[in-house]
Amino acid sequence: MYGGGEYDATSPFKSLIRAFYASLNFSFDGVSLVCPVDEVSAIVIDLGSHTCKAGYAGEDAPKAVFPSVVGSIDQMEVDDPIKSERDPGSVPDPKNVVRPFDSDKIKAKRKLYVGSQALGYRRDNMEDGVVVDWDIVDSIWDHAFRERLLIDPKEHPMLLAEPSSNTPQQRERTAELMFEKYKVPALFLAKNAVLTSFASGRATSLVVDSGGGYTTVAPVHDGYVLQKAVATSPIGGEILTECLMKSLESKSITIKPRYSFKRKEIRPGEFQTVDLDFPNTTESYKLYAQRVIASDIKESVCRAPDTPFDESAYANIPMTPYELPDGQTIEIGADRFKIPDILFNPSLVQTIPGMESFAESAHSIRGLPQMVIESINKCDVDIRRELFSSILLAGGTASMQQLKERLEKDLLEESPQAARVKVLASGNATERRFRLDF
Amino acid sequence: MFPLEKPFHFDYGPDRRTTNKLLLIYIRFELSSSAHGCKGHSWSVQNPIFCNSGEEISTPKGLSQKTRWHFSRGNVYALTGGLAPLMPSIDVSHLKKRPQSDNEKITWQWLPFANSARSDNLLLSHWVRVVNGVPPTGDYSFAKYNKSVNIVKYTGEEYEKHLIDPVASFAYDSSFTTSISWLLTVPVWTKEETDQLFALCEQFDLRFIVIADRFPSARTVEELKKRYYTVSKTIAVARAPSSGDVSGNPLSKESFHVSQEIERKRALSMVLSQTKQQERKDAEVLTEAKRISESRMVAKGAEEAQLPLTSSVGPESTERASVPDESVSPASDPRLPALTIAAPTSAADSASIPASLRMLRVFLRTNVLDQMVQAASSSAGLRTIKRVDQTLQDLGVYFLSLNCDKINLKPKVPTKAVCGEHLELRKEILTLLNLQKQLQNKEAEGSSHHDSSYHETPSTPKHSHRGGDQDRTFVPDSVSFGGERVGKRDQKRKAPGRFSEAPPSPPQSKRARKLKVSDG
Repeated sequence: MYGGGEYDATSPFKSLIRAFYASLNFSFDGVSLVCPVDEVSAIVIDLGSHTCKAGYAGEDAPKAVFPSVVGSIDQMEVDDPIKSERDPGSVPDPKNVVRPFDSDKIKAKRKLYVGSQALGYRRDNMEDGVVVDWDIVDSIWDHAFRERLLIDPKEHPMLLAEPSSNTPQQRERTAELMFEKYKVPALFLAKNAVLTSFASGRATSLVVDSGGGYTTVAPVHDGYVLQKAVATSPIGGEILTECLMKSLESKSITIKPRYSFKRKEIRPGEFQTVDLDFPNTTESYKLYAQRVIASDIKESVCRAPDTPFDESAYANIPMTPYELPDGQTIEIGADRFKIPDILFNPSLVQTIPGMESFAESAHSIRGLPQMVIESINKCDVDIRRELFSSILLAGGTASMQQLKERLEKDLLEESPQAARVKVLASGNATERRFRLDF
Repeated sequence: MFPLEKPFHFDYGPDRRTTNKLLLIYIRFELSSSAHGCKGHSWSVQNPIFCNSGEEISTPKGLSQKTRWHFSRGNVYALTGGLAPLMPSIDVSHLKKRPQSDNEKITWQWLPFANSARSDNLLLSHWVRVVNGVPPTGDYSFAKYNKSVNIVKYTGEEYEKHLIDPVASFAYDSSFTTSISWLLTVPVWTKEETDQLFALCEQFDLRFIVIADRFPSARTVEELKKRYYTVSKTIAVARAPSSGDVSGNPLSKESFHVSQEIERKRALSMVLSQTKQQERKDAEVLTEAKRISESRMVAKGAEEAQLPLTSSVGPESTERASVPDESVSPASDPRLPALTIAAPTSAADSASIPASLRMLRVFLRTNVLDQMVQAASSSAGLRTIKRVDQTLQDLGVYFLSLNCDKINLKPKVPTKAVCGEHLELRKEILTLLNLQKQLQNKEAEGSSHHDSSYHETPSTPKHSHRGGDQDRTFVPDSVSFGGERVGKRDQKRKAPGRFSEAPPSPPQSKRARKLKVSDG
């Protein structure tokens, strides 16, 4: 019953995945099966650092997408200053995890709220807190199963997507939790990069996964990730959002979180904002709410520049207006291009006021094209050409406009003459965002 | 738009038999035309036969009873194949039909299934098409894809006997020296490592790149492959009862050439490590060098054009001398092999090769010869060219073309040598004409001092070109022209006068001149 990760040669999903790969030759099986993929009603869950995506296997897009953020309200009077562990792995960065628990649980008397709907509603005393990582993960899964997908995990085999560099302990813990708590009939842990690769129909490719918390460049050969050649960098969507926020603050634009104001209609069509004050709001929740708005700005306005960002060149470009939820309209000019260029040139972080703490560690971080080249060069010579010609972009940050073109251009400069560089991104933005083979 | 708006008229025949015959003929006609006009679509237009066949059409009184085809509008359309219907009505019955038999009852049920590819007895469920209450039998349809490679499995004793890795194993390496240097750096294989290797091979189906990635200690792909193949070969040989059984086995026939693999990979990595920037720089340097040598060639060409016509032989020799210089200097530069192709053209040709031709590496000499000739005679005017051609003809240097009605002044077999000679000849003729003209001018000048008479015969005796310069029957009367006339003549005609056999009479001088003009 225990179907482990890739190390189990007879797991059902290996045959499923093989079947998928074999089905690419479009061999129709007579009358009965038109679609070669068998329907065992498996559930796929991808717990990312920014959002969690869950859905049925075989569909185009996940049914449930919600932020991997949990708000917690400590029932106890004393709030423990427990620091959040930043695990660049499967576990999300838990800022606040609060979810309705059975109150007779002694271990952690916390209410955890998951999901954007729950989090959108401000509650008093929501704070940073992590009890144990696994509680959080557990609560997220539970929310996904019971409230979003409305299924009973006992009936469905599970496909869990894990990051390309996951430790065996975490894998064991995952399996333990799944089997013992949720009693799933079968479980398969697949690496993100492999799933992305299969989703695009290739067994060998280089997957550039640029998600919320980090960016990973992982080569996949014949359906297996080459671990020694994986390159990661902590720059992800969240860092970019952070930079944008600091940049706006330095221009003395304050982003008011949604809960902190109310708009009253004075006359038809005209609104007046009234500030509300909630003294019991914790700082982390406020930050979270601000980040939500800032990330929306980033997604709608930011574009990857065609050439490396140069302060003087972009000083005079026309500004784009953006209306904040409180009615204030802000103009964004050079930041539109500067922020995405951090992916390519991490040292730009240092130029943003307020980000100095991050900037110290930025020396060792390489930009995206350099990571790609480095990763490929660590692989065996025979497959390098193939890797160059099938570079896949995945993840939320990778769906930024013009990123594909810019990456291709940068890679053409640095790549060898004999190799043909081709960066692929799924044409459908939704598919790219939720990269997996649902 | 519908073609058969008007009712169709069919004229009945005189008697019943004829009518029937005609009707039959018409039906066949109609059907064939309608079939032609509407392939595949259901003809939603009513067949004209049927709409009016029952109608009684009385012929007007007085008209003959002969049958008459009425070619009404509808009929004409039918004759020409008919108009396609605007909306092709798709017959649903033509669409792909499932092979449905009515006597079967088909339901879909959620049933558990067993997968032979699994070693545990996990039962998952899926939707199954059940026919008449009988679920389908047979293995899980994807189980057949679970194929794996047959890895040899050795026992402990076999390992002790055969497979202990000796430090020096030259037998399997082709190249002696590389194998020594390589083997010295490679650690010895232990049993644990070998076991691990084989476990991974089993797991990953001999994907050595992945195996190398997952191998705990840092071994290269070549090492892993080598160890695997040597072990397999040894075991296969050891286990075979006789050597004959094993000889067919590819494992034992060939051995893994490590050094070749290492070399190959090294070469490949060198190819792949040259980045586009380097390529671009190389290309830039090459184009720059080419440009420089081009400009040198042009400079030499320009120099030659400037030299006065008096010593036309001189520039040729200097250019011949300069061209070897040219060919030496680019050739001495080892980084510019491309330019040596342009340089070592024949000396006579080099100045006449236009710059565009130097770019071409491969060209058809017939096409090029025209260009060369043009280039060679570019300094001379049209008349001169014609004179040269005429001279060629006179000299008997003509090449009959195949149909013999046209005399082709170009070589029929344009090889390099022939073309070279041809161009040489043309040049020499040109030089000759130039020299003659100059001599004429000089003598005209000289004689103008002595003789100021305008009535002297101004005619220039024709001169036979045959045999070169020694046959010059140069009549000094030609120089009795006045000074300004000489100048005028010079300006008017660049070509020197034509020398012919018959000495022209003095009063005919003008005419002769006109003749010359017309000739030239």
